[in-house]
Amino acid sequence: MGLRWLPLATQRHLMNTGLCLLLILGSFEAIMGPDLVSNLRDFTGTYGAYLLVASLLFTPLSHRFKWVKRNLWMRRNIGVWGFIYAAAHLVIWIVLEFYFDWALMLDEIKGNLFILLGIFAFFLLVPMALTSNNRAVKFLSFRKWQLLHCLTYLAIPSVIAHHFMAQKTAESEPLFMGLVLILVFIWRYRHVH
Amino acid sequence: MSIKSSAITPEKVYKRRRVLMAAGAGVLGVPLINKAYGLFQDKQEVEAPFPQVVSLPGEKNQPLIPTPYETITTYNNYYEFGVGKDDPSKAAKTLTTSPWSVDIGGEGSDKPGRYDIADIKGESAIENHIYRFRCVEAWSMVIPWNGIKLSDVIKFALPNSKAKYVRFTTINDPQQMPNAGWAGGPYVEGLTIEEAMNPLTLLSTGIYDKPLEQQNGAPIRLVVPWKYGFKYAKSIVKIELVEKMPKNTWWLQNKREYGFYANVNPQFSHPRWTQATERVIGELGRKPTLLYNGYAQEVAHLYPDLDNRLYFY
Repeated sequence: MGLRWLPLATQRHLMNTGLCLLLILGSFEAIMGPDLVSNLRDFTGTYGAYLLVASLLFTPLSHRFKWVKRNLWMRRNIGVWGFIYAAAHLVIWIVLEFYFDWALMLDEIKGNLFILLGIFAFFLLVPMALTSNNRAVKFLSFRKWQLLHCLTYLAIPSVIAHHFMAQKTAESEPLFMGLVLILVFIWRYRHVH
Repeated sequence: MSIKSSAITPEKVYKRRRVLMAAGAGVLGVPLINKAYGLFQDKQEVEAPFPQVVSLPGEKNQPLIPTPYETITTYNNYYEFGVGKDDPSKAAKTLTTSPWSVDIGGEGSDKPGRYDIADIKGESAIENHIYRFRCVEAWSMVIPWNGIKLSDVIKFALPNSKAKYVRFTTINDPQQMPNAGWAGGPYVEGLTIEEAMNPLTLLSTGIYDKPLEQQNGAPIRLVVPWKYGFKYAKSIVKIELVEKMPKNTWWLQNKREYGFYANVNPQFSHPRWTQATERVIGELGRKPTLLYNGYAQEVAHLYPDLDNRLYFY
């Protein structure tokens, strides 16, 4: 990226602004459609999944590409924004889709693996999002922090399974993300051994 | 239960309202959304351009307010043109709907043949019906259909004793449909002969007195208001009177989630979501789903056993 001449803090701000703008503009477009509820729900869910999968790619790619290695800091921002999109997705589901009708929500969740997976993934993402800052790394010690963040390897596959199972038919998009995940896992396995 | 929203709203107002709705949702918090939404509503009640044909017992004075035309024509499930809701309205223009002929036949018809759509329409009067439309995905609209009674077309085909079911086939042409054959063949739907002969069942040729748009199933599509939307076969090229229950596309796709009858029933949930309530497209909040989508008076006699799940998915 040709932004190396900018101070790191500025690069970081630019990135956050970009991802925030994407969320705002995407939501705006979703609102313009005929069904704002499902548009907002699907936009935040899908893009949240993209961002979370993207955050997993940094480590393997940093071994191959210098540019990625130099910009490893982006992983944190992308991961946190993935969480923000996921949180928006959950809030939209509770507020706009179900209007705080907890009984109805419970009825929908009951025996419904794909929603359970989504909720499970979200709760795994919370501690990671909360500890995505330097102070938390210091407080926990790097090793403990790293161990905690291994939860991504449980959370993100759950996100992709949730995305896949939410479709009416087998769609290529979640399948592609699943494939990417499998490649990341293969790399991880081979890298450790 | 009050029905809000106006039928015909200028596009600008309609879009501005969306922004206000979202702003309201964000700023005021949910309990206030409905109130805020009400404030932004255009107050004039648009006269329904169609006569109310079917209504609910006890709700006779509540007219159904049709969903805006723009919404009906831009929010569609028509997988042959793509799986997104806005794909069909963008992609479907490539479908040539005139000239159009429909093959009528099957072992249950004594007068099989290929008929031009004008001949089929010419046989019977165009009727106007405002029906609730309930998708299996738990959303709903209200649609002012123009169409002919399916029973007229069936009588025209001279049904014999073998006519127990009716099988409908949608056009499946890769030249004209970018996602043709997504289900491994043409889209197929079916009804029992009793369902097909019910006076509620239509072959629709228009909406809001305009000819059907391709994304809505032009030039002729099935309408069965007490069933989930996937039963409404679109752009029909073949109607067969048959002896055996047709295997409909979604049933073949996923036998656990979709069946043949697919009658609307709030008591029987889809395996992945509840059918107890529905989201009305263009409004916030949910409303209770009605047994047989509110048409129990007209169709309940067709289904002797209310506890039989077979009838309700």
